[in-house]
Amino acid sequence: MSILKRAALAAAALAMTAGLAAAQTTVKWLHIEVNPNQVKIWEEVARDFEAKNPGVKVEMQFLENEAYKAKLPTILQSKDRPHIIYSWAGGVLKSQVEAGVLEDLTPAMQGYKDNLAPAAVAAFTVDGKIYGVPHAQSQVGFMVNKELMAKGGVDPASIKTWDDLLGAVKKLKAAGVTPIVAGGADKWPLHFYWTNLAVRLGGKPAFQAALKGENGGFAGPVFLKSGELFKQLVDLQPFQNGFLGFKNPQAVGAFGDGKAAMILAISSFYHTQKALAADKKGIADDNIGWFDFPTVPGGQGDPTDTLGGINGWLVTKGAPKEAAAFLKHFVSLDVQKRLAAGNFLIPTFKGAEEGLASPFMRQIAANLAKSKYHQNFYDQDLGPNVGRVVNDATTEMAGGSMDAKQVAQAIQDAVRQGN
Amino acid sequence: MLATVARRSMQSGKLTAIALFLPPALLLFTIFVVLPIAEAAWYSGYNWNGFGSPKNWVGWDNYRFVFETRAFGLALRNNLLIIAVSLIIQLPLALTLALLLAEKFRGAVALRMLFFMPYILAEIATGLIFSFVYDGDYGLLAAIYRQFGAEAPHLLASTQTSMLAVLIVVVWKYFGFHMMLFIAALQGMDRNLIEAARIDGATRWQTVRLIIIPLLYPTIRLSVFFAVVGSLQLFDLVMPLTRGGPADSSQTLVSFLYSFGVMRMRVGFGSAVGVILFVICVTFAFTYKRWFMRDE
Amino acid sequence: MNSSSPAVGKPFDPAALYKGLFLAIVVVFVATPLVATLLGGFKSLGELRTNPFGLPQVWEWENYAGILRSPRYWILLRNSLVISSLTVALTLIVASMAAFVFAHIRFFGSAMLLNYITLGLLFPAATAILPLFIKVRDLGLLDSYFGVVLPQVAFALAMSILLLRRFFRDLPVELLEAALVDGCSYINYFRYVTLPLSRPILATVGTIAFVNSWNAYLVPLVMLNSDERYPWPLGIMIYQGEYSSEWHLILAFITLTILPTILLFLLAQKHIVAGLTAGAVKG
Repeated sequence: MSILKRAALAAAALAMTAGLAAAQTTVKWLHIEVNPNQVKIWEEVARDFEAKNPGVKVEMQFLENEAYKAKLPTILQSKDRPHIIYSWAGGVLKSQVEAGVLEDLTPAMQGYKDNLAPAAVAAFTVDGKIYGVPHAQSQVGFMVNKELMAKGGVDPASIKTWDDLLGAVKKLKAAGVTPIVAGGADKWPLHFYWTNLAVRLGGKPAFQAALKGENGGFAGPVFLKSGELFKQLVDLQPFQNGFLGFKNPQAVGAFGDGKAAMILAISSFYHTQKALAADKKGIADDNIGWFDFPTVPGGQGDPTDTLGGINGWLVTKGAPKEAAAFLKHFVSLDVQKRLAAGNFLIPTFKGAEEGLASPFMRQIAANLAKSKYHQNFYDQDLGPNVGRVVNDATTEMAGGSMDAKQVAQAIQDAVRQGN
Repeated sequence: MLATVARRSMQSGKLTAIALFLPPALLLFTIFVVLPIAEAAWYSGYNWNGFGSPKNWVGWDNYRFVFETRAFGLALRNNLLIIAVSLIIQLPLALTLALLLAEKFRGAVALRMLFFMPYILAEIATGLIFSFVYDGDYGLLAAIYRQFGAEAPHLLASTQTSMLAVLIVVVWKYFGFHMMLFIAALQGMDRNLIEAARIDGATRWQTVRLIIIPLLYPTIRLSVFFAVVGSLQLFDLVMPLTRGGPADSSQTLVSFLYSFGVMRMRVGFGSAVGVILFVICVTFAFTYKRWFMRDE
Repeated sequence: MNSSSPAVGKPFDPAALYKGLFLAIVVVFVATPLVATLLGGFKSLGELRTNPFGLPQVWEWENYAGILRSPRYWILLRNSLVISSLTVALTLIVASMAAFVFAHIRFFGSAMLLNYITLGLLFPAATAILPLFIKVRDLGLLDSYFGVVLPQVAFALAMSILLLRRFFRDLPVELLEAALVDGCSYINYFRYVTLPLSRPILATVGTIAFVNSWNAYLVPLVMLNSDERYPWPLGIMIYQGEYSSEWHLILAFITLTILPTILLFLLAQKHIVAGLTAGAVKG
């Protein structure tokens, strides 16, 4: 027993020292960025902020994207939760606001919110109050490996319609090139297909009608059609072998390794593919291309409509004031310009996009500027439960175990069940 | 006189002992085991995200939603599959190995230990090791396929094979435990009976079939019991391998509860799944004990 | 050659051959993944791809050294050790006290209370994980060691109490009677007689609690939020998420995290086997 007792005492002592915190104010900042080059700049920004604000310490914590989404609901219920958390806005944000776990940032953002893109700020506004500081925007579209496309005899610039895409896939397959790489294990990379088709088919009105439950909601004709079109692509078996087992970082890495001609990507993958490629270099700038998600004949959506993310930071209830102050620093012009210069993101600070160094990222910024309807990711926009069902169902379709009707019905059922 | 004093003090000593020794266990058990399961029954009537207190009463809706969810059916099927494989493959394998290794020969003990080793490894570590084994690019399986010039299948990535892959790992991890159960039983067995059979001219196979296996029935029943209970709890192993996917094809009841209840903080829905799992566990334990373990 | 096998000299026995072959297949089945994991940690990613089975051509000690130098690995082990030690200590103390009462003191309701505790054998913690989470949250124990330890102890109680009670009852009754007549209190008897005599069963129960807690995933996953308190199963999942395809590092990390378990197993194998199987059988 004495050994046990000693062990227990030692354990208790350890537990106590681990619980001790520093005397100064610590801002706990939880991020999900996997790109070490970008994290390095963030760290410098944090150290910079600490230097300007003596007595404040910014502590960075990291969770991988999927782990973060899985853990967030329980993290938020903990009393020593992180002070700053990552957000994609949308319905998930709304449910967090309803749960009362976020600080209202409206007062803290007076004076600088007008410097940020209005659409981005609007995305973080719930019932007239601003709950998040947006720092980046992105667009979903096809990122291509020009060399491999050429090998299959496909000109990426010629892919304008869904049928063009199907044709390209067939050609690439015939040439022995893997047409598309996708991170099916994480599910959301596959839901982009279905949702972007819906954006093209129905535009903004269709989505808003579905939210209100009109026209059959998400089981209505537009969404059925999205499923049917996606099924056409799935039937061609366009994805890499074992795509349902690839997590997104693996898939992006595989694209960076030159293993497939295309990836339906978030624009920020431009940089991530370099970091995640085996050689840490990825596809070179002159070999990388982009085309917008193809249009669909008869679609109600405008070709300039975009699907993409609006990313920002939330401050959790009870966080020290310094958390909001740090975010102000984080979206200041200098920092945003610096991140833009590294081509890590499309900044939200008006004018900072001038700093984007690569033509690739400048094109994305131009697309977003042109867009009149920027649809947020469905899996975030529709709230925690319905969003996950969209991911589940579209992945099942990609795996061949659900048809268009079942997908639409599963999503509508989830809407009916609520959260 | 002395005796009554002694008895009285003994009586009060009894009470002190009860008052000091019992409450910690009862309290811990009530707070962390009994109350939660009772609360699960209560929460399962609400649509609740865990914040504040449950207000939105929905009656039996959560149970209906559970049964309507396709993944739940798959999870149930997979749990049955695990049980079936435990009975049809794992149990005979464990029994055969026990019969071979209960005998004394050089290396027998080392082999027993080797076969038992997977059982003490954490499920998480086992799952990760096998996600390497199955990896389509770097994995062992892929390397074997490449030897033959074939392209490796991504076992974990197909709805057709994900569960098969999980089942192989289940057998790998747990057969050694069942083997040890049998070896322990074999070593406790009356050697005289077996010797007598030998002397009477029974062949080895006859001895095993007619004498040893009947004597092992209680252990076999126990082994089946653990296989079923283990299947109902299986979670840690699935998470690193497939997280229940793709398309829920390798979901188990607990991984279903985790990904549909905990990850989405649908306390009511998750509690309903918990209650269903509880009912399955309790029903099974009672019927099994009553029907098959009566004599123990 | 001539002395190593008893089979030599006997006529050829096909049964022995089949037996050997069968055992060899099982050995390969069990050992290959383990050995490949250990060796894989010594290879570069490129070599892992071309040579997953064999010995490394170039031994990359840096894979292991890098992990051993990082505080991350040691923090995980420390957390696991703290959580497991607390779980074992609390389980032994609380369960042995209760088991002592159930074994030696007859009182009204004792059978009923024992049955009540036995309920705990019927279902795993997973069934009640959400309400358990809410409970731990309301007690303010989320993201603390005790938020993991207390539920683990509570769920280990049923089995532990039953095992201990059975053992306590088998201790000679005359001892207790004599001690009581001599004026020894129950509490002193428990402290000075029962516990010292019960080392084997305490070791068994402790082993079960330790292995279960050391390997546990679900309860820590739900209760803990910050990586400075993660035990190793959580930490290794995060590590894998971070290094997704860099299998050489992941394999090295796996090897290093299961090493303590394997060492413990090799040192105390008899005890662990007896503990885990006996615990199961008697439960």
